[in-house]
Amino acid sequence: MLTIALAKGALLKDSVRCFAAAGIDFSALLDKGNRQLMVPSPCGRARALLVRNGDVPVYVSYGQAQLGVVGYDVLQEHQLPVAQLLDLGFGGCRMSVAVKASSPYRRAADLPAHCRIASKFTRCAERFFDGLDLPVELIHLTGSVELGPITGMSEAIVDLVATGRTLAENGLVAIEDLFHSTARLVGNPLALRLDQGDMQQLVKELAAAAQPIEVA
Amino acid sequence: MALQPAAGARDLNPRQVEGNRRIRQTLAGVYRLWGYQEVDPPSIETLDTLAAGGGIAPEELVRLVSDDPLGLRPELTASIARAACTRMADHPLPLRLWADGNIFRCLQGDAGRLRIHQQIQSGVELLGEPSLSADVELIRLLLAATGSLGLQPEHKPTLLMGHHGLLQALLEPLPAGLGEPARAALTSFDRLSLQALEPQLGNSGELLSLLELRGRPQQVLAQLQNRLGDMPLLQDLGRVIDLVTPAAQGLGVELQLDPTFQPHFNLYDGLVLKLVCQGADVPIAIASGGRYDALVGRFSTPASLMTLPAAGVGFGFDVEHVRELVCSTRDGQQTVLVARGPATPLEVALERLESLHSQGIPAELLGEATPDRSAAEAVASQRGCGDLIWLGP
Repeated sequence: MLTIALAKGALLKDSVRCFAAAGIDFSALLDKGNRQLMVPSPCGRARALLVRNGDVPVYVSYGQAQLGVVGYDVLQEHQLPVAQLLDLGFGGCRMSVAVKASSPYRRAADLPAHCRIASKFTRCAERFFDGLDLPVELIHLTGSVELGPITGMSEAIVDLVATGRTLAENGLVAIEDLFHSTARLVGNPLALRLDQGDMQQLVKELAAAAQPIEVA
Repeated sequence: MALQPAAGARDLNPRQVEGNRRIRQTLAGVYRLWGYQEVDPPSIETLDTLAAGGGIAPEELVRLVSDDPLGLRPELTASIARAACTRMADHPLPLRLWADGNIFRCLQGDAGRLRIHQQIQSGVELLGEPSLSADVELIRLLLAATGSLGLQPEHKPTLLMGHHGLLQALLEPLPAGLGEPARAALTSFDRLSLQALEPQLGNSGELLSLLELRGRPQQVLAQLQNRLGDMPLLQDLGRVIDLVTPAAQGLGVELQLDPTFQPHFNLYDGLVLKLVCQGADVPIAIASGGRYDALVGRFSTPASLMTLPAAGVGFGFDVEHVRELVCSTRDGQQTVLVARGPATPLEVALERLESLHSQGIPAELLGEATPDRSAAEAVASQRGCGDLIWLGP
């Protein structure tokens, strides 16, 4: 039986829909009353592990889950040895640098050297500013990152932006994108090499199911 | 404050140590049968040696604070190859050497914290033999050693075999600049990156089909022959496979030829191997190795005391992974508990203890006298002793 790690939160509904299109029913995960963290599909072909976003690549890299669905942003931040198999197309957002709307800075490269940048994604931020050759002081936060510039703790933030509404309501504006992120199907490289065909078959079915979503 | 071992360092209990010791001795017994001699390379080497000519990323090395750039070994091969080139000038070739011991790797955890990972490795190196016979001997020895470990059919041992030259030949037709990204994507099984490269190759699906090319050696060789023509490397590989298949079949080890497989450390430039077993929940890699001629060439310079032919093959078992597979928690030799009643003097108990030892029976002493046999039985059961010798009424 294949074990698939699915991320709680925004990606879950689309992940369940994607697997349903490939004939695997994980809809029990969407029941409001569900408290189970490991749910087998009724067909007996696979079981789902319900884990936090950042833990999906961890379960997959250790091999406890052969496959997983997680955002590209998480893969970029954690850099674990997992194989990227498919772009599932949903969960689109941007990793962006944002500053106060009243700030004079309009490009990341305009930010002053050694300024403070608050982020949940400090590794992505570090790589980005290293690439710009701009030394910055990174402040790791675990949420409500928008408060960084509002309170004056940081000049800018690096955060995920889906619609831009949260930024706008907090008086911030995105000035540059690091990358565009969508949900990815990832796999354990060793399990993929030892696969007797089950995983490859499922990847093919998911690829076929993901195509219409990309077009839409 | 609780005193804990450093993060990543191992604090093994007696049962784990006993399990590891038995595996190390079993493997050593096989290595000796094949004429390999034990060496004991240092745990500390210069970073230049440890990096193995760029095969091992600097951030994976545990560095020491010292005047010289030193670190702890992340594997045994580079140290043994270095020692063979500088210290074994008077030995006839080829050199057959084995070693076991701790290795240390540095991992970067979340929030950028460095963790040290300690493992026990046991392996062999065959140096100075450039011919195909060394590859065959290495695999046959790996199979013989695997056969000695007591693996069960449910462990489904599979030997993944790849070849640096094969991957090189498959990537050669690619336009300049695409070879490296394609290699990285193929070896890390990154299907999305390959898809991104496809348009530059006219969307032929060639690269993606390479990612699916693996399986039974003869079938994969036939497919490779169709792609690459009748090249000598394929003939050699076919010969190696012919020579190791009977031994693998005899031991129930599945052989899988996987042209895009490369091990984690980039030491190798010829044949590469990884032995994987099915654990209780996940596949567990228990051994890996391959041919590392360029590494030997790097150490074997005119400045070194001898010029070894630039040829070397070797493998290493991860002893703790093997123990996880083959040793149940009940394993380990049980001792006999020697206990006495209040009327029996300590001398009598000590004499009985040593008489058991002289017969080769492991026995331990209950120092304090117990009021009756049932109290001694309770202690024996609590300590996990297999038997009780009661000296009393």
